[in-house]
Amino acid sequence: MAVFMQSLISGILIGGVYALIGIGLTLIFGVMRVINFGHGDILMVGMYLTYILFTFAHIDPFVSVLISFPLMFLFGGFLQKVFINRVLNAVAQNQILLTIGLGLIMSNTVMLIFTSDYKIITTSYSSSTIQVGGGVSVSWPLLVSFLITAAITAALYWFLLKTDTGQAIRATAQDRDAAQLMGINVKRMSIIAFGLGSALAGTAGALISPTYYIFPQVGSVFTLKAFVITVLGGMGSVVGATLGGVLIGITESMSAAYISSGWKDVVVFVLFLLVLLLKPSGLMGKSRT
Amino acid sequence: MRKHLLALGAVFVLSPLMAQKIGVINSMSGPEAPIGENISNGIKLAEEDLIKKGIHVQLVWEDDTGKPQISMSAMEKLATRDNVAGVVGPYTSACSNAVAKLAEKYRVPLLIPAAAKEEITRQGLKHVFRMNAPADRYASSLIDAALGLGKPKSVAFIYENTDFGTSTSKTAKEYVAKKGIQVVADEPYPKGAADYRSTLAKIKSKNPDLVFMVSYVADAILLMRQSKEVGLQPQAFLGGGAGFTTAEFAGERAISEDVISCTQWTDDVNWPGAKDFGKRYKARFGKEPTYHAACAYESMMIMAETARNAGGDREKTRAGLKAGNWNGIMGPVRFADYDGFTNQNNHPMLVQQIQGGNYETVFPAPFATRKAVYPFPKWK
Repeated sequence: MAVFMQSLISGILIGGVYALIGIGLTLIFGVMRVINFGHGDILMVGMYLTYILFTFAHIDPFVSVLISFPLMFLFGGFLQKVFINRVLNAVAQNQILLTIGLGLIMSNTVMLIFTSDYKIITTSYSSSTIQVGGGVSVSWPLLVSFLITAAITAALYWFLLKTDTGQAIRATAQDRDAAQLMGINVKRMSIIAFGLGSALAGTAGALISPTYYIFPQVGSVFTLKAFVITVLGGMGSVVGATLGGVLIGITESMSAAYISSGWKDVVVFVLFLLVLLLKPSGLMGKSRT
Repeated sequence: MRKHLLALGAVFVLSPLMAQKIGVINSMSGPEAPIGENISNGIKLAEEDLIKKGIHVQLVWEDDTGKPQISMSAMEKLATRDNVAGVVGPYTSACSNAVAKLAEKYRVPLLIPAAAKEEITRQGLKHVFRMNAPADRYASSLIDAALGLGKPKSVAFIYENTDFGTSTSKTAKEYVAKKGIQVVADEPYPKGAADYRSTLAKIKSKNPDLVFMVSYVADAILLMRQSKEVGLQPQAFLGGGAGFTTAEFAGERAISEDVISCTQWTDDVNWPGAKDFGKRYKARFGKEPTYHAACAYESMMIMAETARNAGGDREKTRAGLKAGNWNGIMGPVRFADYDGFTNQNNHPMLVQQIQGGNYETVFPAPFATRKAVYPFPKWK
């Protein structure tokens, strides 16, 4: 029973962070129909930003989210305005190539500056736990990450549902031409969406950094996970991405415990394939023409 | 015309005195860079000592970034374009195994300093030599140390699933079967995984007396951190070399204290020059060397001397390596054929434990400087 609870809890906690990555990707796709293959690398930049703030300014990784969120937002907005905007009407393959290229530039620049050595952030609470009884311990940094993720997700929902800008973004995602006809500045919405998506990815990076290691190629692992989560949840659906993230987190954790650590990725992908076969638009997605 | 012939003649006469080209394949960037750094530094110290002995080498450095396919390209380049007399390296088992076959194909003597996978020198490859004790020693030394300290009855294995981890744990499983210790968990994990908590919880539920881990640097730290989180409390944590022997690992004081690991070398063994090497390395590079530095140093010393004596000829270098014996900071070295191994140095492994943030040799008795702390104290 303890193993079950332990796996479930760690799965949910890490699933929360995965969800954040997935939400960012799905937002970008929803609004711009751009498949951002550089998403994991943006997360990586967020991780390094956290590392810099921690090592040189001694700012706690969780506190530094307040700094990295806006910085990553500006970074994302910059990428959109300067690069992605130019290919919005291009063939999908070209858009993908551009995002891959941007990802490569990011990871290699970081590699040149920091070398490929693994960096580990060690804080006073890196291995702290809370005992929840029954022999189950919850990792304190993971719990804090999850709570922050939940707060950010809630704030995001509020933003998308209640504010004018948020509704304008959703309108643009629903039907870009109609939104433009209604007087929405769709170019601006794209910039905001990409900025938001990047900020979420960067924040996810900041939240994972106390419990993972930081290296320039970490992006590729997370890009893949982000895609699985986004497609699983339905591309363009924020709720779907949240569900998808937590589901993937739990699946990974449970299969590591009950099957084998070596097989957990296989289980995740098999699950993914099954969902695609049975409900191709994803759990919460609507089929698009 | 005559001047040119004279110059050409001089070159031929003087060429044995010219620097020998020796290739180095190492993981200088990438995930294994922290350990690769030790190998590079050991070789640099060797280069200096060789000059003092009047042996000039021209080193050709190749970075394999820890990937076997890049290692293989590096080997091809060294063998065909750089025309080296011999190669020292690479670091990881996966890279070394890939490169060994190429070394044999191109007939270039290869001296592997620190790769564990047994099979590398069990393939009858005449051009491949190995300095360090292979994986079976990792296992036997750790288990023997544990048996000398207590009466463990069960063991759980958790290991990274490339050549290094699989090879070392496989041989360890065979060894514990002989010693009557029961295997209660066998968990390979993909290198670079982030979350071991559920696996460790599973292991904890089996209540093993020993936890045997085989990992590289980053995984070792995360494993121990998450073991503490999950509250895994065996009689001992046994770390199979690599990640568990680095300064980075020892630096994580909250989680590395009292972890037992096996090593090819420590600075308090009475092999000639060992202690001085340790001091010199620390003074020069600001941190303690891992065993990889000592292995690499001695490998380069041996390769360079042999290549010089052979005049840079590959076959003569190979013969020189086979026939020679040396006694340096790694103790007595001789590349012999025994027990199915070819060109393997029969090197004794040492077992160390982190006490007070420092590595102390605790086993075997002739080399031990401190008593081991056993069982593993309760996590605070």
